[in-house]
Amino acid sequence: MDAVERANADRQKKWVKDQKVGEGTYAVVYRGRELATGRKIAIKKIKVGQFKDGLDMSAVREVKYLRELHHPNVIELLDVFSSKTNLNLVLEFLDTDLEMIIKDRSLVFLPADIKSWMAMMFRGLEFCHRNFILHRDLKPNNLLIASDGQLKIADFGLARDAADPGYKMTCQVITRWYRPPELLFGCRYYSTAVDIWSVGCIFAELMLRTPYLPGESDMDQLKTIFRALGTPTEEEWPGHTKLPDYVSIGQFPRTPLRDLFTAATADTLNLLSKCIVYEPRKRISAKDALNHPYFFALPYPTHPSKLPKTIAQTTAAASRPLDEVDGNVDLNSGAGPGATAAGTAPPKKLKRKLSGHDTSRNIARKLDFTAA
Amino acid sequence: MATDFWASSHNKRWIVDRATLKQARAEDLQYVHSPDHIDLLNIYFANLIGMLGKKLSLRQRVIATATVFFRRFYVKNLYCETDPFIVIAACCYVAAKAEESPVHIKNVVSESRLMFSQEGYGVKNFPSDNSKLAEMEFYLVSDLECDLVVFHPYRTLLTLCGRESACALDTEAGEVGVGIDSGPRYWGTGEGRLELEEGPLQTAWFIINDTYRSEICLLYPPHMIAIAAIYLTLVLNDKTREAIQAQGAPVPPPRRSSRTTSGSAHRKSAPAQQQDFVGFMAGLRVSLPTVAMIAQEILSLYTLWGRYSDTPPESGLGGNGAGEHSGGDDVVTPAFLTQLLLRMREARLADLAHPASGQPVAVNKRLERTQAAG
Repeated sequence: MDAVERANADRQKKWVKDQKVGEGTYAVVYRGRELATGRKIAIKKIKVGQFKDGLDMSAVREVKYLRELHHPNVIELLDVFSSKTNLNLVLEFLDTDLEMIIKDRSLVFLPADIKSWMAMMFRGLEFCHRNFILHRDLKPNNLLIASDGQLKIADFGLARDAADPGYKMTCQVITRWYRPPELLFGCRYYSTAVDIWSVGCIFAELMLRTPYLPGESDMDQLKTIFRALGTPTEEEWPGHTKLPDYVSIGQFPRTPLRDLFTAATADTLNLLSKCIVYEPRKRISAKDALNHPYFFALPYPTHPSKLPKTIAQTTAAASRPLDEVDGNVDLNSGAGPGATAAGTAPPKKLKRKLSGHDTSRNIARKLDFTAA
Repeated sequence: MATDFWASSHNKRWIVDRATLKQARAEDLQYVHSPDHIDLLNIYFANLIGMLGKKLSLRQRVIATATVFFRRFYVKNLYCETDPFIVIAACCYVAAKAEESPVHIKNVVSESRLMFSQEGYGVKNFPSDNSKLAEMEFYLVSDLECDLVVFHPYRTLLTLCGRESACALDTEAGEVGVGIDSGPRYWGTGEGRLELEEGPLQTAWFIINDTYRSEICLLYPPHMIAIAAIYLTLVLNDKTREAIQAQGAPVPPPRRSSRTTSGSAHRKSAPAQQQDFVGFMAGLRVSLPTVAMIAQEILSLYTLWGRYSDTPPESGLGGNGAGEHSGGDDVVTPAFLTQLLLRMREARLADLAHPASGQPVAVNKRLERTQAAG
């Protein structure tokens, strides 16, 4: 065993893996704990399988960004180690996600609670954007809630650096209900504004307690957006008719947000409307959003520890499965039209793969002089 | 490029000191006659990464990232105990993914096979199987401890010396987030910038490319390397050198005034030739001794590089600098270096099979086979 392997083994020994709690396309998630302190953690084991096609692009992206990003409102990657033929990410343990909280009908949200979540969301997002990272998959399911109430942005499987000008990016990102119209029109050059649209949709969802713009297909998504916000004019959004996948959807009148969000204050609607502006360049930035009057008006944001909690959270989540510990682990696949998540791999296959690791190790990291 | 350099894994974990590097190469050094051979291997492998990258049509930044991955991997591993050629392929493959321009694994395997099997390199046993490369990728990523964000000097160079139209000048150039008009910007204001003409800017860019042929990228932060490259450019370029000397001829201005003349007001009124280069360097407020040290290391890299001769035609970049220092000691070719590597490996194998303890160790059969084939 050389020094590198020893260092890896030392890291591995710090963490204990308990039961499996979920499985996604490229990873299996286990609940675990830190040996020294007993602190709860989640271990995400990235399947390398039999080394067929190399590491999944999502795995590369996630690992790449989580290694660099450290912020109270971004999920913390505590450690990385490799075991046999797997990469293991040690992540902080998080109780639940915003989707579970929104769906829990027994909870009542006060305007101050929503403000608190929005503030944490914008803080985390501003940190990502400040570092030129686009998240590209914001949705309630990917906003995890820690036991102390802190909201954390998770699942960086679709994240990337803002491309240099002149370099195309894919428009097939962001779960459909949270996808901005420019991406639906096939825009290949975009910016941090795509994430802001998603945040706007989540903001509305927090108030409505149901998805704001639930389209059934990409085409229907546009129709849903236009029905809610009116068909954009050339004046409102210059040049949108020239986008690659532009199609004329039909004319819908603009209805004031006030009609739907009857209880919201003027500041609230002002911020919301700035998040879902059609013209991406006019959409508010995360930094400006944090300085918006909404966050300084009464009522002040609720302290994270006082935010509504799901029952599972309050009754010490000991027995609850942690399938939502990471957004990639998409067990309730009926929940949303996953633009990103492919089907869940059957566990049977995985077992075979895992047991076959001995034979799959063909070349050694080092030229193996000693192996029998 | 993403994230804050000072808080990044690059700064915190991957800027190493000379002692660490020396220790990393200590065992390899036992198997070569001259320590220079190790440095020549460094040049050789960086060239291979560059050429493989070109074949896969990767951008310069991706090639640079691949080279840094390669160097980081060999901080933890030995040349004589690993197969650098498959590591090179894996570095290109991972770097392409990490820099958001993925290449299919099949292409990487076939291009590597094709390239390495060429006459001049004489690597005959490159695996044709995707899974071998995928496995190497796994070892690479775990030895890199998943730190895949690498900072490069190019951005600093363009920030300090690029034109406003830098995007047009070079596709690698340009600032992130051009679509975002809001917020304060220090770039584009001309504050603290040195405007270089296209020629010198290219030279500085090429010098940066060349630094990856040594271990400079592991020793110093990228912005310092960029500044050293700018410094060398100013000294090497006739026009700018004359300007500096002309400046030096009268009584050298005191530091305080030199800094004020480098301000934007002066810049706007004066044409590029009359820029205050000395003031610019002083105004950067970085350790100039360190810059001088890096510049010295770049120069000694060029001296060494003069001994390296690429029998197969060298493709494009980095051609400058080489050849200038021809002569000197023995000329070294890629074929020689491949042979050297095989000899190192055999010697290592022999040492491990017959350790000082006198207890022979079972030797891997497969390796024997591949060596017989190679």
